[in-house]
Amino acid sequence: MGIVKSEKTPARAAPLSETTIIGWMSKNLFSSWFNAILTIVTLYIIYITVKDLWIWGISDAVWVAENRRECFSISIDGACWAGVITWMDNIFYGRYPREELWRINLGLILLIVWMAPLWLPRVKAKVLIGVTTVFLYPFLAGYLFAGGDKGIFMQVMISAAIVCLIGNTLHSIIGVTSGSSLDDFLLRKLGKQDAPEKSQHRILLGILLASFVVVYLWQMSWSVEGVSWTKWGGLFLTLVISGIGIASALPGGIILALGRRSRLPVIRVLSTAFIELFRSVPLITVLFMATTMFPLFMPEGFVLNKLVQVIIAVCLFNACYMAEIVRGGLQSVPRGQAEGAHTIGLGYWGTMGLIIMPQALKHMIPNIVGNSIGLLKDTTLVSIIGLFDILGMLRSISRDTPWLGLHKEPLIFGAILFFLICFAMSKYSRHLETKLSTDHKK
Amino acid sequence: MAVSDSGKQSEHVKPKPEFDFFNDERVRSVFYQILTAAVVGWIGWYLFTTTAHNLEVRGMDSGFGFMGVEAGFDTDFKLIAYEAGVGTYGDIFLIGVLNTLYISFLAIIATTILGFIIGVLRLSNNWLISRVALTYVEVFRNTPLLIQIIFWYTGIFSILPRIKNSLDLSGGSETVLLNNRGLYMPWPVPGDLMWMTGVALIVAIIGVIVYRRWAHKRQDETGQILPMFLPSAALIILLPGMVYLVTGSPLGWDLPVLEGFNFVGGATLPPAFLALFVALTIYHAAHLAESVRAGILSVSRGQSDAAMAIGLRNSKVMSLVIIPQAMPAIVPPMISLWMNVVKNSSLAIAIGYPDLVAVFMQTSLNQAGHAIEIVGMTMAFYMFVSLTISGLLNIYNKRVQLVGR
Repeated sequence: MGIVKSEKTPARAAPLSETTIIGWMSKNLFSSWFNAILTIVTLYIIYITVKDLWIWGISDAVWVAENRRECFSISIDGACWAGVITWMDNIFYGRYPREELWRINLGLILLIVWMAPLWLPRVKAKVLIGVTTVFLYPFLAGYLFAGGDKGIFMQVMISAAIVCLIGNTLHSIIGVTSGSSLDDFLLRKLGKQDAPEKSQHRILLGILLASFVVVYLWQMSWSVEGVSWTKWGGLFLTLVISGIGIASALPGGIILALGRRSRLPVIRVLSTAFIELFRSVPLITVLFMATTMFPLFMPEGFVLNKLVQVIIAVCLFNACYMAEIVRGGLQSVPRGQAEGAHTIGLGYWGTMGLIIMPQALKHMIPNIVGNSIGLLKDTTLVSIIGLFDILGMLRSISRDTPWLGLHKEPLIFGAILFFLICFAMSKYSRHLETKLSTDHKK
Repeated sequence: MAVSDSGKQSEHVKPKPEFDFFNDERVRSVFYQILTAAVVGWIGWYLFTTTAHNLEVRGMDSGFGFMGVEAGFDTDFKLIAYEAGVGTYGDIFLIGVLNTLYISFLAIIATTILGFIIGVLRLSNNWLISRVALTYVEVFRNTPLLIQIIFWYTGIFSILPRIKNSLDLSGGSETVLLNNRGLYMPWPVPGDLMWMTGVALIVAIIGVIVYRRWAHKRQDETGQILPMFLPSAALIILLPGMVYLVTGSPLGWDLPVLEGFNFVGGATLPPAFLALFVALTIYHAAHLAESVRAGILSVSRGQSDAAMAIGLRNSKVMSLVIIPQAMPAIVPPMISLWMNVVKNSSLAIAIGYPDLVAVFMQTSLNQAGHAIEIVGMTMAFYMFVSLTISGLLNIYNKRVQLVGR
């Protein structure tokens, strides 16, 4: 005879260790005598550390003072943040003329406006937006930051950048509101959405040219005062150097990595030698090489300024690291993908550009972001060869007469700033990794 | 490859590959290679001629003759005998190389130990401990090493008490002292018969190896497990200890003694060395901890479950099952991290520890010129170290691959 229950057995309540705080604590903090002692000792150490840091950095700290002596007279054990606060502008902008700071801020805002569509939903052609950021934004920003006379080349590039920026912005607004793209929108407004493709292209090209001409004429009416690169500094300079390094690393890295995987021995050997040379030496030696040897390489009378030398060095160095990341990403794509692409008749560039690279890039995101964080941190090395980047500025506080000997506070401030930027970047890359992942595993 | 049109395929006639000069793969590959070689060669030739011309215009000579010229400056810290004005730039190069290798070697050992500890703590089942380890890793990984080095130097080691009020780390005996001039320690001075203790130590180590081999063999044959740790430790400590005592304790200590305004005798490590050592260790240990954690996590849970099921103790599960399988995932990143320690030790230049870059690439270059030779030699040194380390890595990878997979 079988006993069959007619009603469902009610679920048992979850064990206490899973639901209550005390249960959680007894499982994770006090599971054994040894663990309990460890927990208590650690808690005590944390308490002491946090208390001391609080007293030094917050409660007893001096926020407003004229000089370091005054800091001491107010509080002998507290941090003297007053020095950092007085120097705040220098830390962020270096010795950039104070009345021209709006140019740096505007440059930053333009970058945000330019890149924001990449994160917006329903916007099409994000790759194009990304590419224009890399290839056109630097000209506009470069002119904003450096100023001075615009040559013909710069005038053309600046106009192209402005046209592109306006186009981008309109495109993203249309994209977010209606989900269509700028060209569709324009054609519909002109009532030509049914016209043959060729005349559509002609119309769009016309609009592009007309707006370019208008912008070109308009930009001739203004110019900004030149600011010598020697006045650049602070976080601004750090971001400029690392920004150029990061933006140029991917194209450079892809070329070097393809070279290293090439079937042609000459190209392979040259790329490998180049990559291994730069990867095996410290960045500081590359920077020294740039500042001492580049002048010897240049023809007579042609002088590269130190900033350009440094940027070239950083770009070469970072491209080699990126090349290895790209190579790793390419290797992670199964062979069958390339074979499949060949089967449907794609050539080398078609296979690479349409099949291999898009898959490889996805695998490389964590490493690319890690490398960019590394570069941002390594950019502080330029302070050793005499550029006043953020670390150079932080260190000059302790040489400034009123704040003589103030070392700790500026460095801690700089460390916190870097921590915030780098930590946010790495968290974002982890988020991106899970978002783009098409793996079946969770 | 030449592809014929599809109409012919139905007749099962194999299309005859036509030799198309412009689209032939071999012709193209040769052409691209010659083109690349020509461009690179032209750039090289151009740089060479401009540089030669520039050197001539500026009246600079080239060559390695300067290596024999006396260098007129001294360094704070050196491992070989050297005197300013007598020693040459060659000596300076050697000092720099040795200083770089010295700090890198010590920092690598400390990094490896600390990194493994933090990595294991990250996986602790005590929530608080794993959080503390995580905080350590995130804080030190996400701030620039250079800021950390300068912080340890200017914020800690150079504002220590003066000589008169040195901190006594030896607990009242005033033998290990820390002050703003650095760390002062006793230094061993071996006596006449000290070599016998050394020989005894070597004999003891060989004895331990022989004992282990024998014990393993015995375990394979009989299944009996012999105690390993205690006999080994006893042999290594007791044998040299007894020889040392029998020969009459032939080891003297050179103690640091305060004479006038400074300490004399003993061994000294300058503040810059201490700051660099601490910063390199802490920074790289945070990176290593992540590799260790990832390596241990890469061993599937079933392995430890199975090991427990056949009755192994917790410590044996770790040492016999988990660690051996985690090592292939830990060692390659660890070895490239060691390379990073060597490379990052060049940041010494920011705080004045006389490593290769500081004494050779900066000071010597400023005084003697010869930028190309000096930059080349410095880079060659780092490339040599890098090649050695990646050679080690290749040997290890080969061994791991032979074992299985």
